[in-house]
Amino acid sequence: MSSIRPGSPAAYWLALPATLWMMAAVVVPVGMIVWVSFWGGRAFSPESPLSLDNYQRFFANRTYMALVLETLRHTATMMLICGVLGYCIAYFLVVKVRSPAWRTVLFLAFVIPFWTSALIRAIAWVPFLGVNGVINQALLALGLADEPVEIFLYSRTGISLAQVPLYTLMASGPVVYMLAQIPPALREAAMTLKAEPVTVFRRVIFPLTLPGVVIGQVLVFLNVMADFATVQTIGGNKIALLPNLVINFYEGAQIRAAAVVAVLLMLCMLAGVAAALRVVDVRRLGAA
Amino acid sequence: MMDGTTYASGRARAARRPLLDHRARSRLTAWVLGTLTVGFLLYQWLPILTLSLLSFSGPTGGTTFPMNGVSLHWYRELWDASIMNDFKPPLGRSFLLAIACAVTTCLLSVASAQAMRGRFRGHGLFFYLILLGIMAPGLLVGFGFALVCRILGIETAWNTTAFLVHVSWTLPFGFLAMLAIFNRFDPKLEEAALTLGASRWTAFRRITLPIVLPGVIGSLLFGFSLSYDEFARSMFTTGADITLPLAVMAQLDRQLTPELYAIGAATTVTSLLAILACTFALWGLRRAQRR
Amino acid sequence: MDRLPQLDLEIRSLRKRYGSFTAVDGVSLQVGKGQFVCLLGPSGCGKTTTLRCVAGLEEPDGGDILIGGREVTRDPPWRRDIAMMFQDFALFPHMTVARQVGFGLEMLRKPKAEVGRRVAEVLAAFEIAALADRKPAGLSGGQRQRVALARAMITEPRILLLDEPIGALDYALRETVMIELKQLQRRVGISFIWVTHDQNEAFSLGDHVVVMNHARIEQQGTPEEILHRPRTPFVASFVQGNNSFHGRVAGAERGLLRIAGEAGSFLVPGPARMAGSAASFSVRAERIGPAAAAHPNRVAVRCVTVEYFGSIRRYILERAGGALLKLDQFGAEPAWLRQGEAAEIGWAAEDCVLHDVPEEAAPASSAAPAREVVPA
Repeated sequence: MSSIRPGSPAAYWLALPATLWMMAAVVVPVGMIVWVSFWGGRAFSPESPLSLDNYQRFFANRTYMALVLETLRHTATMMLICGVLGYCIAYFLVVKVRSPAWRTVLFLAFVIPFWTSALIRAIAWVPFLGVNGVINQALLALGLADEPVEIFLYSRTGISLAQVPLYTLMASGPVVYMLAQIPPALREAAMTLKAEPVTVFRRVIFPLTLPGVVIGQVLVFLNVMADFATVQTIGGNKIALLPNLVINFYEGAQIRAAAVVAVLLMLCMLAGVAAALRVVDVRRLGAA
Repeated sequence: MMDGTTYASGRARAARRPLLDHRARSRLTAWVLGTLTVGFLLYQWLPILTLSLLSFSGPTGGTTFPMNGVSLHWYRELWDASIMNDFKPPLGRSFLLAIACAVTTCLLSVASAQAMRGRFRGHGLFFYLILLGIMAPGLLVGFGFALVCRILGIETAWNTTAFLVHVSWTLPFGFLAMLAIFNRFDPKLEEAALTLGASRWTAFRRITLPIVLPGVIGSLLFGFSLSYDEFARSMFTTGADITLPLAVMAQLDRQLTPELYAIGAATTVTSLLAILACTFALWGLRRAQRR
Repeated sequence: MDRLPQLDLEIRSLRKRYGSFTAVDGVSLQVGKGQFVCLLGPSGCGKTTTLRCVAGLEEPDGGDILIGGREVTRDPPWRRDIAMMFQDFALFPHMTVARQVGFGLEMLRKPKAEVGRRVAEVLAAFEIAALADRKPAGLSGGQRQRVALARAMITEPRILLLDEPIGALDYALRETVMIELKQLQRRVGISFIWVTHDQNEAFSLGDHVVVMNHARIEQQGTPEEILHRPRTPFVASFVQGNNSFHGRVAGAERGLLRIAGEAGSFLVPGPARMAGSAASFSVRAERIGPAAAAHPNRVAVRCVTVEYFGSIRRYILERAGGALLKLDQFGAEPAWLRQGEAAEIGWAAEDCVLHDVPEEAAPASSAAPAREVVPA
């Protein structure tokens, strides 16, 4: 018994506004992208015949294919860095920090930047990375370099440097959750069963956090693949990845090409999520 | 049985003692991980702090060090609108849009979470439908929505189309927050109210809402802050009258000036204050409830 | 240095503090070969901390721990010849039963074939062979308990440490499991150290019971000793069925001590003590009866209520001053007193058990009888 009767019409009525809203704002637009990507012919209109022309044109282009690979490579690198870093931080916060006061402080210090604008945080890197930037000034002042190092701004390195702080929290959060769920008695039981701490981690702790690791990786994957803002801010006009291509096409009035790239992005993301779900489920059934 | 073989092998292992004993190794691990964590925190905070510092540079200061004096010059520049870049209207729009988003998110989140409690047929699908808002990236949603508008001949504007898409992004967060709160909510409290003669609506209004207020405030907070900072979705759906993040990006495209640092610093401080205010409100609520 | 190799465990003056709180304060214990030892006490008394120090899960601030004659105080748990059973069993959720049970042997680097063989043996011995490929989530409480036991026993430890192992089981199951574990211990011949707050467990299972309170050992001995000859007021009140009395030594008569207090004046057997010094003693509830001519010790009471515990009828009696006493009578005998009736009860001098001299000066006997027992 509660303030809402199970299965009652009231439940349907309450759910209706959100349903309509999400259909209109998300489902229909995404469906539209898929439909537009198949529009053949010369004119841009709903009456266009459906064809695979746009796709053929895209996949025939070697530059674009290289861009896809580059994007995937970059995303994989970010997943690795954020994953390892995120796990170390999660382990430290949950297992190694004893006093709850310190844990809260560190946790807040970790999470608060997440609440400030991502755009501002991306912009904040620009004074650091440029030829006259803070990093170069420090290097010159400390005598570690004779002339300004150029690789920071307008480069993959710079983009990576700016993205790591943005996405490590996403890799870390699910791991924190799973680590917190492990009762301390499990570690102790393993130790009384003659397992040394490294073995305890490898055979007991890590396998139990694996779902968190996978979810974290998926979150990083999805966000890095779609992050055009950081690429644009730090990379300027020199570097572009797949999401930027969508915008370039859109601003160049090549809507159908933009739709193709968008669909490609969507497929990559769906494939990633599906693969992750497969891994997590298998882990749950498989032996340790 | 106690034939001693297990014990003997245990002894053999003890003979090859490692260099550091287990306590030292545990401490070493803690130090390594700790340094990594603190290092990362510095790495995370340093750009924001530097940006805030640089926002106070003198009139002749550039976008990097040296600062050439300390002044509020750039803040004043920000305030006195110049022809080139006037940030006040975009700021106003962002603010209003965020408020509208907050209120709408709150209402929809509460309604949707309450609906979920009703376990209607298809509530699983409903859950994933709302979660789509988080999973679908802003780039795709924004682009798609712009396409729809173009084909249907609808004009994009900050207070109509952008509002629609913003809520689709903030709603899942508020929804999850309300679900989490409802999970910990004891339905027996409502039952008690119903047996005392309250109608379902009254029970919800007088008993449930005050208790789940933290979730309600949370959804307001999500709605406001996520909409205020939203860039990708705004880019496609605001039309000519742009919001603050778009204005910042536009300026960045033209030229990086310390005014942007001033905006950055001001925005960060505002966000921080808003979060702290809400945290205190929640903390105060919880204390009041406990008494 | 080997000392008395027939001692499975020796604890010497163990001390453990957490900040300003002393959890274990100078605990010393010797456990002979194949003994079943129960650490009994209220929560916070230090029994679990002591157990964890023996396991190596806590580092003591002082004292020594020797297992099988070998000093292990600085050794980590994986180097001690022990195994442990935890309160909620602490089964690894991601491993099958077979994998879990074999875990300890894997850690000892036993060859795979041997591990497989031993696991099959142990699973059969504990009657859980059918569960070999199941995960803990799909097991009942009783099944989980057996898996935890199998997992611990397969490494053939010298000592098995058990931290309230049957607390998580249904009430009905506990009795059965208790008997099984007692038989197991006798069969296998290793020492069990069992921590509990439940007296029935401790006295049914233990060869040797250690009663702890406030980080110290109050008394240790066989269940008989503790039940029938408690040595401190705490032990007397903690174990069921005792009535405690406090007072001061008023002299000696016919080789017995006279102790006078708020409840009256009593003759108690015991060695001479300083006149006027504080003293306390207890009488078991079943040794009290209606006052007879031969009884030197008597108290006037009024029956507050009558309780029934299985075959025992227990009278809750209130004496002058308000304190409550218990009188147990075998249920088959006819009821002697009804609620509200007054009577006089008495008992023989030799039924009194004198407690040890208290460490601190006891409060004056006319103080409120805070230590006298409310029926358990």
